[in-house]
Amino acid sequence: MSGDLMLDVEDVWQKLGQNQILQGVTFQVRDRIRPGQVTGQVVAMLGPSGVGKTRLIRLIAGLDPLQRGRIGGAGGKALVAGTVGVVFQNYPLMRHHTVVDNLIMAGVANGMSRDESRARAKSLLDRFGLGQRLNFYPAQISGGQRQRAAIAQQLMHQKQLLLMDEPFSGLDPAVLEEVVKLLIEVAHMDELNTVVVVTHDIRSAMIVSDTLFMLGRDRTADGKVESGARIQQTIDLVAEGLAWRPEIELDPKFAQVEKMVKGRFRSL
Amino acid sequence: MTDRLRRVFLPNRSIDRATAFVLVAAWAASALAVWSLSPWESLPGPREVLGALGTLWWQHGMGPELFTTLKLISHALFLTVVISLTLSYLAVIAAFRPLVAAVSKLRFLGLTGLVFPFTLMTGGGYELKVALLTFGMTTFFVTAMSQVVLEIPKEQFDHLRVIGASEPRILWEVVIRGTLDKALDVTRQNLAIGWAMITMVEGISRAEGGVGALILNQNKHFHLAEVYAILIAILVVGLVLDYLMGLLVRVLCPYVMFERVHR
Repeated sequence: MSGDLMLDVEDVWQKLGQNQILQGVTFQVRDRIRPGQVTGQVVAMLGPSGVGKTRLIRLIAGLDPLQRGRIGGAGGKALVAGTVGVVFQNYPLMRHHTVVDNLIMAGVANGMSRDESRARAKSLLDRFGLGQRLNFYPAQISGGQRQRAAIAQQLMHQKQLLLMDEPFSGLDPAVLEEVVKLLIEVAHMDELNTVVVVTHDIRSAMIVSDTLFMLGRDRTADGKVESGARIQQTIDLVAEGLAWRPEIELDPKFAQVEKMVKGRFRSL
Repeated sequence: MTDRLRRVFLPNRSIDRATAFVLVAAWAASALAVWSLSPWESLPGPREVLGALGTLWWQHGMGPELFTTLKLISHALFLTVVISLTLSYLAVIAAFRPLVAAVSKLRFLGLTGLVFPFTLMTGGGYELKVALLTFGMTTFFVTAMSQVVLEIPKEQFDHLRVIGASEPRILWEVVIRGTLDKALDVTRQNLAIGWAMITMVEGISRAEGGVGALILNQNKHFHLAEVYAILIAILVVGLVLDYLMGLLVRVLCPYVMFERVHR
């Protein structure tokens, strides 16, 4: 069952110099409703490298001005920088602050008192398994730990839309599993939470998401790639019965859909 | 032991602290041996230089002269840091970039031709020396530091915008606090540049003294051992200043130590 509109991207075009990057990107994310259960939304934006996924994230986050089209959040509100959480690809944290101070900084920047920020930062870091790393500098922790700290930093202030750029890249299998769990936990903390994962890791995307959007360029009849990407296909994993279940990857249907998505991905 | 010895001579190998200390000691001992056995008459022996150092220290007031020089470099360095950091941080504002670039280009002017106009402006003496040193160091400082500021990845600004930080907060966190270690490194390099220029600058106006004036006086009388003694003193004080700057970086920016990669 679907409810209110959480994210509405309508006919977005973006040009970089002479290159058409995005060409009429349109998609919507609606509130997923499961009676008796708090269910946030996780959508994955799949696409090959260089197709314009990060560009799209920057537009949704309000970091770049829209050249054409419209992007609205819950209730049709325009999205501006600071109202949308973004975890960038290399999990930037301020290198001169300890992990806990990075989170406190985010709290203070959003109008929380220092004490209030510290308490929330400690609680979030404990929850994300970083309770023993509070006073470590970013250079002292692993890539996976940095990513968790970067996600925790975005949760310091209540933002219902969280964008994650390639959250699975460069992680070892154990950390990847941890990140997948964390992502699901974050999404389902609140009914209105919406996580948009931009990735080219099909398998991980299918494990965490309820919807897959495939971003790619059109091809001419003779197979040439045209410039400008748009949503080529939308796959509703809830309708396929492939969402919200633990160990979903063990379902034989998962493998079938994964194969189909991989085939489609190659043509993007 | 054999493995440790082999590592010392193989490329791209890391060595422990004790081995590094032994290496430094071995090189220092070799240099001292070469110096002691040197056949060149124009190079006074270590004993002679050490004796000259004692004479200079106890009879020619080398201590107060060094103090005068240190006061001059401190004054000029303070002005350099204030002017250069202000200009470098202003590089984030497009309107100031041409000014910052112009100051950086002035490093090609050299100091010799500037003595006359600076004398007219400052009236000479101590002020002239401070002005020349400050000018010399500022042009190099602004060149290095403005580059550091301009090369801050856009992502860092975006990251803080995303967490809701205001623009003044972003300026503080990303541009000022985020580059503090590099600002201190640039200060350290410019202190070395200033220290290398100081004997020349002190020679322009000798009335206030300083090691520059002292070395020129010894040059004039062909006191070779004394000249070498002053050179050694300048080198040692320079190294101590450099060490202190390194210590300051480690105290104020401890995170830098975790970012260094040891091969």
